[in-house]
Amino acid sequence: MPVRVVESSAPSQVAGQDASNQHALSPACSLLSVGRAFSGTQNVSSLQKDEAWRVNVRIQGCDLDHGYLCGTMEALNVPLADTPVVTFWEGEIVDMKNYTFYTGKWEATPENDIKHWSKFPAFSSLLSQVEADGGKSLDLSNYPYIFMRWKEQYFVNVGTDCGLTIAGFYYVCFSCSDGSINGFYYDPNSSPFQKLELKFTNEDRSGFTFSSYQLQ
Amino acid sequence: MPSTAVGNRPEDLTARLDIAAAGDGEEGLLRVLREVKNQIIGNKTKKLLYLQLGVVPRIVSALGSARDPAIIVQAAAAIGSFACGVEDGVRAVIDADAVPRLFNVLSHANDKVVDAGARSLRMIFQSKLAPKYDFLKEKNMKFLISLLNSDNDNVTELAASIVAHSCEARAEQKALCDAGALQRLVDLLEGSSYQKDACLDSIAAIIRKNSEVGMHFASIGTGKALNSIVKLIKDRNPRTRLLACVCVISIGHASPYYVQDLQTRTKMMLILVELLEESGRVGDDAPFALSDLVLDDEELHKQAISVNAVEKICNSLHKNQIHPRRLQGILLVFAELCSRLEECRCLLISQQVLSTLANALKHDSPDVRVAACTCITNLSRSVKNLSAGHLSNETFIVPLVQLLHDTSMSLQVAALGAICNVVVDFAAQKLLYIQSGCIKQLVQLSKSMDSTLRLKAVSALRNVTFLADTISKESIILELTISTLASLICDSETAIQQQALALVGNLVDGYADSTKHIFADDGLIMNAVVRQLRSAFSAEICIQGMLLLSNIAAGFEPHKEAVMSYLVSPHDDESFPFIMRFLQSKESLLRTTAVWCIVNLTYPDNPNSSTRVARLRDAGIISQIKTMINDPCLDTKYRVRTALEQCMTLENNSP
Repeated sequence: MPVRVVESSAPSQVAGQDASNQHALSPACSLLSVGRAFSGTQNVSSLQKDEAWRVNVRIQGCDLDHGYLCGTMEALNVPLADTPVVTFWEGEIVDMKNYTFYTGKWEATPENDIKHWSKFPAFSSLLSQVEADGGKSLDLSNYPYIFMRWKEQYFVNVGTDCGLTIAGFYYVCFSCSDGSINGFYYDPNSSPFQKLELKFTNEDRSGFTFSSYQLQ
Repeated sequence: MPSTAVGNRPEDLTARLDIAAAGDGEEGLLRVLREVKNQIIGNKTKKLLYLQLGVVPRIVSALGSARDPAIIVQAAAAIGSFACGVEDGVRAVIDADAVPRLFNVLSHANDKVVDAGARSLRMIFQSKLAPKYDFLKEKNMKFLISLLNSDNDNVTELAASIVAHSCEARAEQKALCDAGALQRLVDLLEGSSYQKDACLDSIAAIIRKNSEVGMHFASIGTGKALNSIVKLIKDRNPRTRLLACVCVISIGHASPYYVQDLQTRTKMMLILVELLEESGRVGDDAPFALSDLVLDDEELHKQAISVNAVEKICNSLHKNQIHPRRLQGILLVFAELCSRLEECRCLLISQQVLSTLANALKHDSPDVRVAACTCITNLSRSVKNLSAGHLSNETFIVPLVQLLHDTSMSLQVAALGAICNVVVDFAAQKLLYIQSGCIKQLVQLSKSMDSTLRLKAVSALRNVTFLADTISKESIILELTISTLASLICDSETAIQQQALALVGNLVDGYADSTKHIFADDGLIMNAVVRQLRSAFSAEICIQGMLLLSNIAAGFEPHKEAVMSYLVSPHDDESFPFIMRFLQSKESLLRTTAVWCIVNLTYPDNPNSSTRVARLRDAGIISQIKTMINDPCLDTKYRVRTALEQCMTLENNSP
């Protein structure tokens, strides 16, 4: 989700991957598959005032082999914007194969990483191992939570001159059991620990549905 | 005496040739042959004129019957000249049976005659129309090796050309290798520039895609042979550089172990990029060698970015009047480079190749159009690009749809590949695809007799319906018709059945109105789906089928009831309901999809959910799910918990 511009930042170095899906289901968690929608809020409070923006997220691509996820994020009541602001983001899944808990870019130091991951209760049982060996010995394939970094790449429906920035990124923790998502936005130039809280939504259907595509 | 001016016209010379051949003396024949040869050298118009006059069979006949070495030399030279650079000339020479007669000439005692014969044959074997030499005949192989071992440079060069032109099958490669051809060709690399090029060409042909022969080559002189070719990639002569690269690439593909040094591969990449600056055949062939070099080599794709190869290739594109073959090659290089890495795709987009691609889709050359489609397919493997809508606009869709109408199947297949990806644009509205005739043509192709076309068309329809809005889905269903959908679900090809089930799943998702189509015509589609679920052996089919049933079960009450009825009542030939089989499957995804369906049938706040729970319990399905509470698959386990929690809540709340 975009935040107000404080200063310009370097472009992201995140590299995407093929996100071809044979099924609608992701083998790790069927709630984290293409087409899935989530809605909730991002707290953007500052010292001056309390503020939360409504946020909708939709998963557009998922390639677990490459630890890759992507989708769109829609911020609904952004004060500076006339319309909801949609951004495209790409995610790195912390699988200890493609990506580790340490970001190593986007102005995030290992201390920043640990500080943010530690905000998630699900991370507490992993902390000592991550501090000991970077988490190399961890097998997260059957862990009930999926840790990710989401980095917004571009604005979908507004220009870059919209007065908003997508310089930061999110530390994200996804619950495989109920599909809830918690995140913390990190940008050295924005308010710290802006909390993102999203719940899985079935968009008024009377159950859970599955759509899929397959790239050639 | 005829005057010189009149006597030297092609018609006159042809007549004189007949007279001389009829026995007017060898001197006359020699004069005429020399005159014809002198007139046609480098003169295409004259060659065509003489071809029309039917002079080639006369000269070939003279070659066969002549005893005077001078006549044989002139006749051979004239034949070679006809075969040089004019396809009709090559055809005429071959049709007149010149090749075996010229081979006979190679055994002549006179060196000048042998030279002329070898030169003439070389001209013929430079053409794709030349006959293939049969190496597998022992006599032929012996003869070829004798040519390779000759002291005459023209003869050895001819032998190398014959190998380069004719060696294709693995058995031929092996036979040439066993006969010692490779060793001899390596020795000949020390010769003239022409000879070097011919040898490199033939070494590449013998090694191509043959790891056994490739390994043999790499072991010649304990690696000296390979090293000598690697050195030639820096030769002064551009054609030699190209051919040396082609050769090393062939060895690399045949035996990757011997060419795994990234530095050499990068060097070759830069050399080939530089060769794009060359005019003519070298520059036209260079991109094909380059696309071969980077094929499936992700490491080299990354290098292409870091050494600015992509930018350099793009620069060569912006020159005026690029030859179609060169354009095709460059597009294939781009296609390969963006087949795996997102960085390459982004780089290509930033280098503004999109307009080149859009124009290439309308190019006169079918090969260029196919290459453009391949490039678009790979470029659009990026969800990031798709979501940004770079390719899902009229500029690309309209010409791609045009290509779907092409008479060439390879073009249709290539265009379908591109359309398959491009239509995943994440926009709900699919007006562009409906108005451009894209859907209509995809539907037509989904009925094709050819299974490749059918599969790709159904895959594209599946993709276009992903998260589409109600209006778009309704239009697509109307175009497709219920009977076509039902027949695609029961297609003879499993891959098509799977795509068809996924397509119907997308149509039903979130669009309760389209669910009515599933039950229309006496449940034609639904019956087809359930028939597949009952009989399919493929887990993939069952997974797609269960996802589709789950989508229907997320609809209104009648939809849930319909799904319910298929789950709990076993068919005549079933020992127990298919859902039980799926719940007990070894395939975790199939277990998960089966549980999802139960989750939707027992979804809270639906009036009949409690009754359904009771029926599921009676059918033994709830008991089965209870046994899965500690399923080894985490996802299945969580879905089982959701299903059981819902059932418990409903049972607790029921009166």
